[in-house]
Amino acid sequence: MDSHRHTDDRRVVVTGLGAVSAAGWGVAALREAVRSGRTAIGPFDRFDHQAQRTHVAGQVPPWRPVKGRPIRWNRWSNSDRFAVFSACEATAQAGLSPPLDNEAVGVFFGSSTAGLSDTEPFFEEMVRRPGSRPRRGVLASHLISAPAETVARHLGVRGPVETVSSACASGGLAIEQALRAIRNSEVDLALAGGAECLCLTTYSGFNALRAVDERPCRPFRSDRAGISLGEGGAVLVLESLAHARARGAMPLAEILGAGSTCDANHMTAPQADGEWAANAIRLAIVDAGLEPEAIDFINAHGTGTPLNDAAESAAMQRAFGARANKIPTTATKGVVGHLLAAAGSVAAIATILGLIDREVDPTPGGGETDPALAVDLALGAPRSLPGMRAAVSVSLGFGGANAAVVFGRWDQA
Amino acid sequence: MPDRAELRSDLKRLIVESLRLEGLTPENIADDAPLFGEGLGLDSVDALELVVALEKRYGMKIQSHEVDKSVFASVSHLAEFVARTLAKDTVVKK
Repeated sequence: MDSHRHTDDRRVVVTGLGAVSAAGWGVAALREAVRSGRTAIGPFDRFDHQAQRTHVAGQVPPWRPVKGRPIRWNRWSNSDRFAVFSACEATAQAGLSPPLDNEAVGVFFGSSTAGLSDTEPFFEEMVRRPGSRPRRGVLASHLISAPAETVARHLGVRGPVETVSSACASGGLAIEQALRAIRNSEVDLALAGGAECLCLTTYSGFNALRAVDERPCRPFRSDRAGISLGEGGAVLVLESLAHARARGAMPLAEILGAGSTCDANHMTAPQADGEWAANAIRLAIVDAGLEPEAIDFINAHGTGTPLNDAAESAAMQRAFGARANKIPTTATKGVVGHLLAAAGSVAAIATILGLIDREVDPTPGGGETDPALAVDLALGAPRSLPGMRAAVSVSLGFGGANAAVVFGRWDQA
Repeated sequence: MPDRAELRSDLKRLIVESLRLEGLTPENIADDAPLFGEGLGLDSVDALELVVALEKRYGMKIQSHEVDKSVFASVSHLAEFVARTLAKDTVVKK
């Protein structure tokens, strides 16, 4: 998609993708899963959840083969592993060889749990057995910024390394931050992504809020009953078109624009009328130099909670008017669960894969689409959309954080 | 006091076990190879883990001012430090 608004050094393209999710390690596994119409959410054993109300999640399977793992693998938290794996896959596809050691390369990452899956047992041991000396090294992974910093150390990135922690909008906001940094010539190339792990803190927290479905989540369905938590990581290599051309890298898609707002309304609930979520979408479309009519499909936040999906549908009606219920829509969370601060990152990759394949992926969950919602949900099998040019990916977070990113299909001229 | 060669092998096993470094075996660690920076590439978190492991393994107490770069320069240096500390502890206990 060529919006012709920007010169080549201000146009931002995606040249590499990397992902880990319940679907498995690598983008190929994610692609297969999102096209399958089946969910990767199910029973899990990352921690003891007997005392919890619900017992399903999108857990990342063990990485096999074990051979060839980096020397620090055993000391990294799950989030660090997901982050580094995704970053390595994305940079390899982009044809980059580490170290990427110049100041014009940056890392922009969404994160909220970081090393919690490893530090929870540490703190539990400290509380239960005062005076005990559990492995203190795990604390190195506890910082919310740990995944981004681990990626930077592993790949030798020396430019800005920044972590966004605005709840479930973080993944989208990290892409927006990377987009602006490239447009402003602060960096030539950026790794934008996020990583998140399953842990007791978030699992019991969302359960206490009664926001978790006992079954795998069912976005936009009449009988939807909450989210399913997921884990994993996703990284996109972004660079200016001029930079990609100069080094002979092949664009996979273009980031046309991004926008963000805040409801400034409630700690957890989205604003029911979707006003500010809609404004984030509008800002992203304006930033892309497009009209709402140019958006061919939507990768919705679609968590599967009664409140989110209703408010998001209201936002779509505000942003797209009467056309809202005619725009094919998919929700990646139905496949891999909710990756919290990395949700926008994995959704971005699913959106780009859709643009490449000219397909809108089905959203698992079964049952009818809620007739009260203005949404045309793709169901069953990938829906072919031969003329597609642009799509919007939406990320909405606790605290009312709203982020939208517009992606364009890359057609070789 | 344990024999130095024995102590060095013991320390190599301790490094591998306590730092859980992927693909590293005691045989891969040379007596005089730098542990930090180049060589094994250990960092300050590894140093912390190693101090705790040393204290547990040899029943000694290591003061933070005793831990400088030279102590952790290599397995040989570490062996000297452990032997020296153990000897000192023995004297104090007597």
